[in-house]
Amino acid sequence: MVDTHSVSALLARGKAAGADFAEVYAERWRRRVLRVVDGAVEEATSVVQLGAGIRLFFGHDVLYGYTNDLSDAGLTEVLDSLVAVRDDGVGRPDAGGRGGLDLRRSDAFVPLPGPRVPPDARDKRWRLERLREADAGARVDPAVKQVEATLAEVEQEVMVANTDGVLADDQRTRTRLVVHVIASDGVETQTGHHGPGLSVGLELLETHPPAEAGRRAAEIALTNLRARKAPAGTMPVVVGNAFGGVIFHEALGHLLETTSVARNASVLAGRLGEQVASPVVTYVDDGTIPHAWGSTRIDDEGAPTERTVLIENGVLTSYMVDRWGALVTGYRPTGSGRRQDYTFAPTSRMRNTFVLNGDTPKEDLFAGVEYGLYAKVMGGGQVRPGSGEYNFAVKEGYMIRDGRIAEPVRGAMLLGKGPDTIKKVVAVSDDGSNEPGMCGSKSGYVPTEIGQPHLLVSEIVVGGEA
Amino acid sequence: MTFEEAKRWLLAEAGRRGVDLEVLGSVERRLQINAQDGKAGETTVATRGGMGLRVVDGGRVGYASTEDLSEGSLAWALTEAIENAALQPAGAAALPAGGALGRHDLVDEGLSGTVAEKRDKAVSLETELKRDPRVQSVQYALYGESQGETVIGSTRGVDGSYRSGRASLVAGLVMRADGSVKQGFEFAHANDFHQLEPGRTALRALEGLGRHLGARPLTTGRRRAVLEPRVVSTLLSLLAYSLSGKTLAEGKSALAGKLGERVAAAGFTLVDDPTLRGGLASRPFDSEGTPSRRVVLVEDGVLRSFLHNTETAARTGQQTTGHAQRSYAGTLGVGITNLVLSPGAGVTPGDGVLVTDLMGVHAGANPITGDVSLQAMGLETVGGETFPVDDFAVSFNLFELLQRIDEVGDVPETHADPRGAGAVTAPSLAVPDVSFAGK
Repeated sequence: MVDTHSVSALLARGKAAGADFAEVYAERWRRRVLRVVDGAVEEATSVVQLGAGIRLFFGHDVLYGYTNDLSDAGLTEVLDSLVAVRDDGVGRPDAGGRGGLDLRRSDAFVPLPGPRVPPDARDKRWRLERLREADAGARVDPAVKQVEATLAEVEQEVMVANTDGVLADDQRTRTRLVVHVIASDGVETQTGHHGPGLSVGLELLETHPPAEAGRRAAEIALTNLRARKAPAGTMPVVVGNAFGGVIFHEALGHLLETTSVARNASVLAGRLGEQVASPVVTYVDDGTIPHAWGSTRIDDEGAPTERTVLIENGVLTSYMVDRWGALVTGYRPTGSGRRQDYTFAPTSRMRNTFVLNGDTPKEDLFAGVEYGLYAKVMGGGQVRPGSGEYNFAVKEGYMIRDGRIAEPVRGAMLLGKGPDTIKKVVAVSDDGSNEPGMCGSKSGYVPTEIGQPHLLVSEIVVGGEA
Repeated sequence: MTFEEAKRWLLAEAGRRGVDLEVLGSVERRLQINAQDGKAGETTVATRGGMGLRVVDGGRVGYASTEDLSEGSLAWALTEAIENAALQPAGAAALPAGGALGRHDLVDEGLSGTVAEKRDKAVSLETELKRDPRVQSVQYALYGESQGETVIGSTRGVDGSYRSGRASLVAGLVMRADGSVKQGFEFAHANDFHQLEPGRTALRALEGLGRHLGARPLTTGRRRAVLEPRVVSTLLSLLAYSLSGKTLAEGKSALAGKLGERVAAAGFTLVDDPTLRGGLASRPFDSEGTPSRRVVLVEDGVLRSFLHNTETAARTGQQTTGHAQRSYAGTLGVGITNLVLSPGAGVTPGDGVLVTDLMGVHAGANPITGDVSLQAMGLETVGGETFPVDDFAVSFNLFELLQRIDEVGDVPETHADPRGAGAVTAPSLAVPDVSFAGK
C-alpha cells in the first residue's frame, strides 16, 4: 500500500517538525454486503476502501489527519497541514527529515489462523442460495411474516509504522450472517434476530448453517408473540450466557478503557487493586482467540494484542490501555488501540470481552430463586459512561418460579449501575460462550465479542408493567 | 492511476466485457479548525475520494465502488458490479446517453490561503463571541472548508469534470442572563473564504440568540405566524422530499398527480437552480452527466415540475431535470441544488409570533404527510409590544400551510440544506391563524 522508505521519511519529517511521536496507519478493505428480504435481493454492494491516517503527538495533544491519496505528496500534505495548524501556521522546514527512520518489522506476534474458505472461492449465486436457506429455516410458523437475511464480509490489510521504529502488518477476514424475523398474530407484532459472525471466511456458513440461524431468530420472535408483559420490581435475575454479557460490556467494560479512565470520566478510575466486583467474577479482554470476531494479530497502533485480565476474583487488575492512555496515565499498554477505519484516530477499545466460567451448574442458579426473571437473550440498551447507569431490553425472557423456568414474558428492561450490578453476582455457571457485536465509541464501530456463562445476580430493577 | 486514467481503463474494460458502465469519481478535501482558548483546538485534515461504478447489463443495475485506483481493485469492482447486477430481477434499466460536458472550475482561488489565515478566522470568531458577557460558553467557533473534484464518464458517451468548494464559519454558543439560558447556532457560508467575516457572524449569533434571553412561556392559542428565513429553509427542505421524483416513483409523494394544480398561495414561486452564479451548490451537470438547468418547481402557487434523474423520470413517465445525486459509494438518488424561493413585497409587522428556529426536525416532522409539530423558539408581539417566548410547539400541515401564506418577505437568506448537500435561499413568510401549543 505504502512503501517503507516513504513512510520512514514521513515519520522523520513529523519528528523534525517538533512532534514527540508520529504514526502512519494504512489499510485496504474489501467489503461485500448481500441482503435478501423474503428471498428477493434488496441490497448487493461491493466496496474497496483504501486510505492512510497520520497521527502526531505534541505532549498529550493529539492531531489526526487522513487521506486516500497515498502518494508521497498526498501523505506529506496531510502531515504538513497538521503541523501548520499546531504551529505558527507556517510549518517548519524538514530540517532533519531527509534521513528517515530505521523501521524494524516486528515478529513478536502470536500468529492467528486465516480463512479456510476465502470470499473469492464462492460466487454470488452461492451466497444468495445460502441466504434463501436462512429464509426457509425461519418459516417455522405461519405467524412469521417477514425474513431479512444479510451476509456481510470484510477483508482488511493493515500496516502501521511509528517513530518508535515499529513496522507491523495484519490481514483480517471476517464474515457475519444476520437474520431478522418479524412475526405477527394479527394483533401483536414481535421481532427476533440472530447473527453469528467470526474472523473466518465463508466456512461460517458451514459451521453455522443459515437455516439454523433463521430458525433461532424465528423462535425468539414467536416466543415474544405468546409472552405476556413482564412484571416490574426488584428481583433476582439469571442473565443468559453469550450476549447476556452486553450489560457488563456496556456498563463495566467501557469504564475500564483509558479513553474514559485518563479523563477521570469513569467511576472506576484510580481503583487498581481494589475489590470492585463479587469474588466469583473474573473479567477478561482477549484479542488472541483464534477466529474470534474481535481478534487481531496486532492492534491498530501496531502493538501485539494480548489476553488482558481486567478483574480477577473481583479485584481490578488492569485497564484497557492504548498508547495515548499509557502516556497520560502511566499504565502498561495492553494492545487495545482500535479504530473503525483510517478516518478515525485509534482509542482504547474492547476486543473479545467476557466473564470466565465459574463452577455452579446452570440448574443450580435457578434452584434457589423463588421468584425472579430469566433474561435468556439480551437486546440493546443505553449507558451513561460516567456513572455506569444502564438500561437494557430483554429480547427473550421468562419468569422463574419456585426454582424453575416458567412462562415467557416480554418488554422487560433491566436497570441499574454496572459497578453495583457486578458486586451482586452471586454465582457463575460453566457454560460460557461469546457472540459477535459491533461496538460504537469515539473511534467508530469495531467488531467485538461479548460473552459470559449464565450467572445469577441477587437483585436487579426490572422495568416492566407495574 | 489518476481519476482520468482509471476512468479510461474502466470504460475500455467494460467495453471488452460487453456491459454498459458509468463511472463517477469524486474526491473531497476538508479542513476544519475549531478554536479553543485562542488557539486551534480539535482539527480535521482529510482527503477522501473514490470511484463509483454503475453497471447496466441486460436491463439490470449493479453497483460497486473503490477508493483504490490500482488495476487490481478496479477490475475487482467491475466484476463485483456485474455480479451484483446479475442478482437483480430482470428489468429495463438503461444508462443515459450523453456527450462531452467540458472541464469546469467553480472555486478558482476561493480557498487559496495559508492554514494560519484560516485558523485565524476561527480564532477571531471565538474572540468576538466571548466579548459578550452574556456568553456562558462557546461550543464551536469553527472554520470549515470543503473542496471537491467530480469526474464522470460512461460507455454511452458522457464525459466531463468540475471542481467546486465552499468555506464556512460555525458558531455554537450558550448565553445566560438573569437565570435564563439559551443555546443556539449561527452559520455563514461562502465560495471564497476571504468573504467570511467572523465579526459579522459573531454579531449575528449574539443578536440572534441574545434576543431570546428572558423568554416567558407562550400560552396556547392560534396566532399569526411570521416564519424567519431559517425556519422557511427547514420547511422547504422538507417540501423537497415530496418534490423528489424518487419519492414520487415510490408512491410516497403527497404532491403526486398535482402537476398544473395550485399547491401554494399565489406569490409562492420556487425554483431549483444549479446554474446560479456563486451558488453554494452550483454544478455544471448532475451525477449521471445531465447538464444543469434552472427548473421552476412551483410558479405563483402552481406545481410545474418534480425533480428527476433519468431512472425516476422513466418510472413516472416524465423527463429528467438533471437532479441525479449520488456519492461514489452510494446508489442513484435525487437531490436539490440551490433551492430558491422568490422574494415578495415584504412582511407587515403586527401582532403574532415570530418563529425564529425549529428543533427536532428529524422526529417531529413527517415528510410524507407534511404533519409538523415542533418545539420552536420565537418572539411574540402583543399590542405592538415584543418579548421573547419559549416552551412552546408550533403545529401545522405543511401542504395546508403553503396554501395559506398571506405575505412573502423581501430579504432572502441562504442556509445549507439540513437534509442534504444543497442550499436553500428563502425570505420570511407570514401565515395567519397557526396553532401554537404552550402553557
